[in-house]
Amino acid sequence: MNRREFLSYQAKGILWMIAGGSGILLPKRLIAAPVPDIAVVKGAPAAATRAAVDLLGGMKQFVKPGDRVVIKPNMSFATPPERASNTDPEVIRELAVMCKEAGAAKILVLDHTLDQKELCLERSRIQKVCNPISEKMVFALNDDRFYKAVDIPGGKSMTSTDIMKEVLKSDVLIAAPTAKSHSSTGVSLSMKGMMGLNYNRRVMHWKYDLNTSIVDLCTILKADLAVIDGTRVLSTGGPHGPGKVLKMDTIIASKDMVAADAYAVSLFEWYGKKFQPKQVRHILEAHKRGLGRMDVENLNVKAISL
Amino acid sequence: MIAFRRTIQLISLTLFLILLTLAVLSVNTPTPLDLFLRLDPALIVFTAISSRIFVAAFIPALLVLVVTLFFGRIFCGYICPMGTTLDGTDKLFGTSRKKQPETGKLRLLKYIVLFFLLGASLLGVSFVFVAAPLSLITRFFGLLVHPVLAFLSNETLGLIQPLAEWLDMDSVVFMQIAVPRFATQFFILAFFVALFVLAVTSPRFWCRNLCPSGALMAFLSKKPLIHRSVSDDCTDCGKCANACPMGAIITEDPGVTLHGECIVCRTCQNTCPENAISFDSVKVEHVDVKQRFSLTRRQFMYSGVFGVATATIGLTGLNSLHGKPGPGQVAPPGLIRPPGAFPEMDFLARCSRCGECMVACPTNTLQPIWLDAGFTGLFSPGLNLRRSYCSPECRMCGEVCPTDAIRSLSKDERIWAKIGTAIIFRQKCLAWEQQKSCMVCDEVCPYKAVEFRKEPGNPVPVPQVREEKCAGCGYCEHFCPVQNQSAIVVTPMGALRLSEGSYVAQGKSQGLNLSIDHKSAYGPQVEEKDGGRGFAPGFENDTSGND
Repeated sequence: MNRREFLSYQAKGILWMIAGGSGILLPKRLIAAPVPDIAVVKGAPAAATRAAVDLLGGMKQFVKPGDRVVIKPNMSFATPPERASNTDPEVIRELAVMCKEAGAAKILVLDHTLDQKELCLERSRIQKVCNPISEKMVFALNDDRFYKAVDIPGGKSMTSTDIMKEVLKSDVLIAAPTAKSHSSTGVSLSMKGMMGLNYNRRVMHWKYDLNTSIVDLCTILKADLAVIDGTRVLSTGGPHGPGKVLKMDTIIASKDMVAADAYAVSLFEWYGKKFQPKQVRHILEAHKRGLGRMDVENLNVKAISL
Repeated sequence: MIAFRRTIQLISLTLFLILLTLAVLSVNTPTPLDLFLRLDPALIVFTAISSRIFVAAFIPALLVLVVTLFFGRIFCGYICPMGTTLDGTDKLFGTSRKKQPETGKLRLLKYIVLFFLLGASLLGVSFVFVAAPLSLITRFFGLLVHPVLAFLSNETLGLIQPLAEWLDMDSVVFMQIAVPRFATQFFILAFFVALFVLAVTSPRFWCRNLCPSGALMAFLSKKPLIHRSVSDDCTDCGKCANACPMGAIITEDPGVTLHGECIVCRTCQNTCPENAISFDSVKVEHVDVKQRFSLTRRQFMYSGVFGVATATIGLTGLNSLHGKPGPGQVAPPGLIRPPGAFPEMDFLARCSRCGECMVACPTNTLQPIWLDAGFTGLFSPGLNLRRSYCSPECRMCGEVCPTDAIRSLSKDERIWAKIGTAIIFRQKCLAWEQQKSCMVCDEVCPYKAVEFRKEPGNPVPVPQVREEKCAGCGYCEHFCPVQNQSAIVVTPMGALRLSEGSYVAQGKSQGLNLSIDHKSAYGPQVEEKDGGRGFAPGFENDTSGND
């Protein structure tokens, strides 16, 4: 039963990928302006978010009319946006607005929070900022009844886990992490952020290798669009902070979550130093396993400043 | 009149439950959430005696006693949530109001309970939790009924979820009800089932025969200003005596009232076919019924001695603290008291074990303990940090404590109210022992008290606790991914237990540095997390990780 549903979910995803893919290819041929693999925009949070997604061909490339969309922010900690442990609320709101413009039937902003959920929703300011769009959009789903067991066919170590049902039901998954350091995994970006959509995160630490199981998880939670909020970067002390916060005013977007993460690693400074994507083990492993590309030097990067 | 009393009773019980619910929801109101507990005469009087203190929070109970002096035990008949609950369950379990057997002797039990509590409290040992009605009923509703209702509600939400999804009712689909769990709930269940079933013997069995607050008020209402009086129209039919839920009317002579037993419910007035009964301030006709319905002086003394003896035996228990702290005091190794709890002996003398702090604890870490702290510490609150953490921003337990056993603290003071110190069991730690990249304790620590360092031969960074920054909040213990017992455990070591004065001042003088700074942190003014040792945890070295 589970497997069958999962397969139908996968099949649906493939269909959408084909649909989305044809959507990308078509205008590319027509106007002959290549769509970049990675879009990098410097500017104010909302404007830069919109510009970055527009560089990739606009939200309509990812969201079709009638789609159910899940946006996965960082809002796991009861800290204000200045601390940079949560995604900037403006970034999330702009993404939701763009999804709505593209005709999404349902948009949900979901996370599985560490701190008390009410405090996370309040302090991150994501709920308040998104309320004008819909008051029933931002939720912290911490109860186990919101999760359903699924297999991970491509899992190397972790071969099953419980995923948020709403994510399984959705057509489009958008990763919208904040750019931050992480004491266990180097950085926490769109891939590590997927640990906010499964239930049992403990086993990923004690039973499996954390980095490998993150990649396993991302094989079934492969974001259709990754938008990394580098408006502020928690360069040290992540994921909770307080740490050194760099004001970078940058948004990185890609339909390849590995490429987005890899670019963020190489672009920003971490612990006062520069690192290469391959120095982050889950990025390296994702690249090797073909989940996406970390060789950003070979990718088409379009960077603009507003 | 009966309808009037029922209305008042229901309003009072509802208010009690509303205040309890507000405590569950951590909502502070102008009305103190512990108001009803502070009205309980036995709870307050014996807490005052055992702890040798008198605080303003105790005044409501004294007002109840003063009111009793003039109006009789109206608290029992109209206000007490325990009495109202028992009235309700009497209807379920009780036999119909047939002729009651005379329970003259049984009702003396409550005076024995009263003097038992007095004897123990004179020794500084508080046993109010075994018998103070508001302590019992708060635990019943808070620690037993509330979790069961929350559990059922949450399960129901799960059941109706498909329907709610179909109807697109997102507020129902995504509703989550926190389901608390408590220790000792089967004890509470057994105790109350026994009380409810005793209704087959007589209505209000508890109030008649056992309640120490009732006993205390009975002493003060021997001759109340407003009282039952019977006119000459009385035909001695005895209907009132049969109807009286408290057995306060002598069956053979219905004109005689035991005012100390009367809860002014006016059932008799309602029952009387001759309308011979009234409640007013006519002078009490003196009827001497003392011989049958009170203890002898010797019996009083024995009860007190019984309390003294039990308290003494309690104090000779291995885990009971007595005297000055020093070698040989066997305090439980893992017992963490709530933040702001008084020094242990004062704390136990004050704590009425009402469970209000546990009900109000938003993370459900506060639990009644069994015998960990000895017989004298039964049901007192302790933290189970594996269940959940104790948020440094939460001050609910101190806010709702009716006897100030937990101090009510300001925001700053609360952050410094250290309850213990975390220690790492390296043999259980994933990073130390299994060399797995795990730094969850550091990730979640709000005080930034866990740091990581490089160990020779270990490819992953390992955590260590900086004791001077650790307040014992238990985020680390709660979230540690290791199975069953955590690899990082908070011990009571270094807990600040102050009866007065500032936690901040005391903490600073001991060299502590506790902070949960939420300030903006742009730029380099923030202390580098790695202590400036220049390594980046979680990243591979340039040389490793290549293919």
